[in-house]
Amino acid sequence: MRLPRLKRSLVALAALVAAGVVPAMAEDLQMWERSGGNAGMVDALVAAWNEKNPDRKINLTYIPHTEMVPKIAQAIASGEVPDLMGMDLIYGPQFEAAGQLVDITDKVKDWPELKTAVQGHMAVSTYEGKLYGVPLYADVSALFYNKDLFRKAGLDPEKPPTNLAEIREYADKITALGGDVKGYFLAGSCAGCNIFTVAPLMWAAGATVEPEAANGEPLNGDGIKEVLQWARDMVKAGNVHEDARAETGETFHLRFGSGKIGMMGTGNFNITLAKEQNPEMDFGIALLPGLKTGEVSSFAGGDIVTIPMGSKRVDDAVDFMKFLLSDETQVEVYAKMLNMTTRGDMTENKYFAAEPKVQQVAKAIAVAETPYTLKFFELINSPQGPWLQMLQRAYYEGTDLDTIISEAKAQMKSIAAE
Amino acid sequence: MHSTSGRYVGLLYLAPALAFVSAFTVYPFLQMIWMSLHNWSLISAKKYIGLGNFVKAWNDPQFWTSLGFTFRYTLYITPILMILGFLIALLTATNTPLRKFTRGVVFAPVVIGLGASSLLWYWLFSYDFGLINRSLIDLGIVSKPVLWFGADADVSLWAVIASIVWKVVGFGTILFVAAIQAIPGEINEATMVDGASYWQRVRRITLPLTAKTILLVTLVSAIGSLLAFDQFYIMTAGQPHNQTTTAVLLIYLNSFPYLKLGYGSALSLILAAIILTCTIFQIVLTRRSHG
Repeated sequence: MRLPRLKRSLVALAALVAAGVVPAMAEDLQMWERSGGNAGMVDALVAAWNEKNPDRKINLTYIPHTEMVPKIAQAIASGEVPDLMGMDLIYGPQFEAAGQLVDITDKVKDWPELKTAVQGHMAVSTYEGKLYGVPLYADVSALFYNKDLFRKAGLDPEKPPTNLAEIREYADKITALGGDVKGYFLAGSCAGCNIFTVAPLMWAAGATVEPEAANGEPLNGDGIKEVLQWARDMVKAGNVHEDARAETGETFHLRFGSGKIGMMGTGNFNITLAKEQNPEMDFGIALLPGLKTGEVSSFAGGDIVTIPMGSKRVDDAVDFMKFLLSDETQVEVYAKMLNMTTRGDMTENKYFAAEPKVQQVAKAIAVAETPYTLKFFELINSPQGPWLQMLQRAYYEGTDLDTIISEAKAQMKSIAAE
Repeated sequence: MHSTSGRYVGLLYLAPALAFVSAFTVYPFLQMIWMSLHNWSLISAKKYIGLGNFVKAWNDPQFWTSLGFTFRYTLYITPILMILGFLIALLTATNTPLRKFTRGVVFAPVVIGLGASSLLWYWLFSYDFGLINRSLIDLGIVSKPVLWFGADADVSLWAVIASIVWKVVGFGTILFVAAIQAIPGEINEATMVDGASYWQRVRRITLPLTAKTILLVTLVSAIGSLLAFDQFYIMTAGQPHNQTTTAVLLIYLNSFPYLKLGYGSALSLILAAIILTCTIFQIVLTRRSHG
């Protein structure tokens, strides 16, 4: 009896796999990561791991950013989980509280690298004293300013603003240059952009945004109202492009590189982007300030890497975490690509030394915060959530700010209490 | 004996369809009813709350805003699709090469995915780079670019309506053309001999004889509009102030990003009931008018 060629090949392959001659695809670790994050960085990290670990390579799958939470939830519900999961760090607490991630506390307790790992990432990876993940990559926000426009407006390009009043003063002068140039940028329809760049202004002014516990108080402190008033005045004064109102985040990363914005809160990722987009533009970086000089803050965003409950390769996954935090990876992968290192003690390296802008933005790591809440998306990140609704009303309406804040507070409390 | 075995054979023929409908329609529907009675997140244990999700919907102002907006969208777009589709069908129903080509051009956007076409129109309406703003300025209709999305809910609504009319008007047109072409030529010829004008023939002959197709296209358009999601998800994201959040967008938000599957299911059931009621009402009205 003669088997057709395809059948014969399959039988032979099955025999080889059974005999252990050909390693089965199942030997690879399966890792999920959201798209829309720092894919270039994650690709490089996985490639570096795969090169060193040919017998336990990682097979990386990207999940659309907006689908990440439901996709993970569905995977958990159906038991079809990957071995490793990179997730937007702000969703960490939600999954940790639901008991869906593997507790790695005992496996990593002796790692010295954890002592200097980015604090925001470590905080959201911890729930009730147990650790569930480590930083995968970090993005921090800072104030980017266009030195060319500073010069044209008669401002000293080596003296960035150190408080909100100065930002306003400088923005007025830059906007007065006319044409299509504006002094500042505020994204009108992007909740994420605002938590990344406007919340630090509030934090620097001593305020808090999200309620940490179900019965906690959101939007605490005078800084909330003062920053909202400042933002409203900036918009009214014409210091922000009119189309910023429609910015949903789609083109946020391209705004500063246009060369038409004097100052803007954005992230470290914009260094490379702005250079590619506008190689002639001279720009500087400072920390996002608060109301008074000396008050500074930043948002530590990015992803953490976790192990979902049900992963069959926990030890290999933990090894990958160790690899991420190793000195060599920090310098030869993160720093070499001019991305933030995820350990504070690794910022002094040859790659950053050759690029002063990265050194400048790296200073934000020390002052960066990350919101800790079990309902981040609903409270903050959703375009329909109370955070963006509050900002839109503050930026574009004339309603009394106390009313706007108290209504947002009530909405946030109701969501947190559910 | 013969009739009993005949019944079994009939059942056997029906079995695949019954199994398919049971597995993919009946079971998910029953599951959705069950879910709507729970506080159900995929990542934590479910909790029975009876009709709590329905009470919550009743007291949720966003639910009413979304429902109202969805109805408004449906009421605006359905007549536009019907009238425009019918007029194009009247103009292109005769089989000449140019008319056939025109029908093809009008129908072409129907085969494009709604997500892709929404993205296309999102960029056409772009404040800075969009062809529409550029054209309006060049033609002297506006002096500065229009902010189509994010500022004014009405402006956003009309922008979305324009994109959807472009996308789906060809569907109704093709059905209308088929219905018009099915009218026997003798009827039109007889009325022409009797001296009827073109519009008299349209009113007295074409419209009554294509009534069933008109009803079908109305139902399909209205149901499609009540279920609008992609275009608003991509083009407006519900902005400004959640005023363009449609009912299905609200269901999606609650079910998936917020992981409130129970509440999402309750909202889905309410919307399904509303669509069913509207459809029955529309069919009854049409039958009476023809009765």
